[in-house]
Amino acid sequence: MEFLHNLDVGFEAALSLTNLTFCFIGVLVGTAIGILPGLGPLATIAMLLPLTYSLEPVSGLIMISGIYYGAQYGGSTTAILVNLPGESSAVVSCLDGHQMARKGRAGSALAIAALGSFFAGTVATVLIAAFSPVLAEVAFLFGPVEYFAMMVLGLTAATLLAHGSFIKGVAMVLTGLILGLVGGDVNSGTYRFTFGSFALTEGIEFVAVAMGLFAFTDIVANIRNDQAREVTAPSFGNLWMTGKEFKEAALPVVRGTAVGSVLGLLPGGGAMISSFAAYAIEKRVSRRPEEFGHGAVAGLAGPEAANNAGAQTSFIPMLTLGIPSNGVMALMIGALMVHNIAPGPYVMVSNPEIFWGLIASMWIGNAMLVVLNLPLIPLWVRLIRVNYWILYPIILAVCCVGLYSIENRVLPIYFAAGFTLVGCLFWRMRAEAAPLLLGFILGPLMEEHFRRALLLSNGDLAIFYQSPLSIAMLSIAAVMCLVVLLPQIRRGRRAAFGEEA
Amino acid sequence: MIFKLDKQADVEAGLFFTLFGGLTAGLSLQYRLGTIAEMGPGMFPLILGIILAILGLVILTKGLLGSGEKAKSLPLGPAILITASLLVFAFLLLSVGLVAAIPAQVVVALWASEHFTWKRAAVLSAGLLAFCYVVFVHFLGIAVPMIAV
Repeated sequence: MEFLHNLDVGFEAALSLTNLTFCFIGVLVGTAIGILPGLGPLATIAMLLPLTYSLEPVSGLIMISGIYYGAQYGGSTTAILVNLPGESSAVVSCLDGHQMARKGRAGSALAIAALGSFFAGTVATVLIAAFSPVLAEVAFLFGPVEYFAMMVLGLTAATLLAHGSFIKGVAMVLTGLILGLVGGDVNSGTYRFTFGSFALTEGIEFVAVAMGLFAFTDIVANIRNDQAREVTAPSFGNLWMTGKEFKEAALPVVRGTAVGSVLGLLPGGGAMISSFAAYAIEKRVSRRPEEFGHGAVAGLAGPEAANNAGAQTSFIPMLTLGIPSNGVMALMIGALMVHNIAPGPYVMVSNPEIFWGLIASMWIGNAMLVVLNLPLIPLWVRLIRVNYWILYPIILAVCCVGLYSIENRVLPIYFAAGFTLVGCLFWRMRAEAAPLLLGFILGPLMEEHFRRALLLSNGDLAIFYQSPLSIAMLSIAAVMCLVVLLPQIRRGRRAAFGEEA
Repeated sequence: MIFKLDKQADVEAGLFFTLFGGLTAGLSLQYRLGTIAEMGPGMFPLILGIILAILGLVILTKGLLGSGEKAKSLPLGPAILITASLLVFAFLLLSVGLVAAIPAQVVVALWASEHFTWKRAAVLSAGLLAFCYVVFVHFLGIAVPMIAV
């Protein structure tokens, strides 16, 4: 009953005309950026975030999450039609999806991708609704010790599962934690690392960090790869799959949904890892593995379902624990904080309309995507051909207006400029920037819990080994660090990410 | 226009992290450290800074021993021009207004691309100005000055 009542609250919030509109805008923009190569969800959300500040928090969040899962749909459209992943999680969809398109089955490939994603999205929405309250109950039992341990675990796992060198990832997390400490110290009121400047007393604007490191750095990295793209346009007579293809796709979709739902929950998980894992599994269980890479239906259906399920279940740790599992979730937490909502188990109690409204909107948004995607394919095909030199000045201008609008001052633009240079440096050094953003968001929280834990224990560090939950989480983190140093796993990890490069 | 020293990703990263960690640790000494039981504002950053500096040294060593990763070649021109386009926008927005900030940004940014022509810059600027006015100023009501007085 409780469950139904909650969903009722959610749908009531999500079905208001305003929120439906923002959900629609979100998934539309999300699909578009998923299609445009060189513009990922992280950069886009950073770009549009300041513009949502003037909205009701629930409308803003609905739109942002629409962008995130909409991008999964859009990314696969480009993958299938042009063999270019518009989005990193669509990399595996290129393998078999594009082969299907080349064999004249582009229409059914798109239909399988859309319907598989919709099924996965529906299941994931139900999972979020069912499991979030349970997890939140657990989170209520957490004290500062457990919170600190969980953040250590979350950051370690997120770094481990993100691509790139592990040790550089950890260094990036630490850099982020340090940058997050700039500004007033909550306990003593001391201004730290402000260099006597009034501008820094409230800390560094996180949107400026995100835009500089992602949106603007991406532009610098992409500016010279402005090549023409060849599009396999589907014939629109057969925009539906055959009964045989439906049967071939059904089981992989179910398996992909399961894999994606689990992997999305893990810190550092989410859409990309899920799709890689689902592809590997499909290839292993298939009776005809030799078909993979030549247009196997299962090789498209599984990963497509998995990336959408993973994108959605990664909301669970963010909504219930306040721990971001990837860069997009870090931005969502930042957005909540702007509206003075502290992310964590209390959101469900204090702002049920936000929590359940967001969940209900995900299902609505997924339904919109299916309806929207198939008929709009001609439009998307045209969008793929947009030149990057048209795109990036638009990104720059919209970002700058957004940065200015946060507090009606230009200071964040100067910060973003600084972080662009730093971001370029990181890009050159092959240091992944997403862990930095996670650290940046968690920095102040982590310090607070660390200090509070040791205050409670009277300075005894053993407190971290006295709570069973804390022991468990810290040992998992330690094991992860050790394991990644073993050469065999390191090789496997490189292979898993190799296809993306 | 392109950085040489192509194999040195880890050397550079190591140097960067060591310096940044060391700097943080050094600067945090000016704040009260407190005790482990009751930490002052300087303690947590000091710990982070030291760990980061150590990690930086490990990465640096790895790089110097030749087992590090290869650096990507940074297109220096675009990096500078894109950053400059942000600064130009910020400067002109408050002194002249959006009508000057956007065209100036577009010209500077587009200069970084090999597809630059004055005509394209003009068309893009005009389109963007119209878009910003209609969407941001008119619909979203953002108080961005079209013309600063």
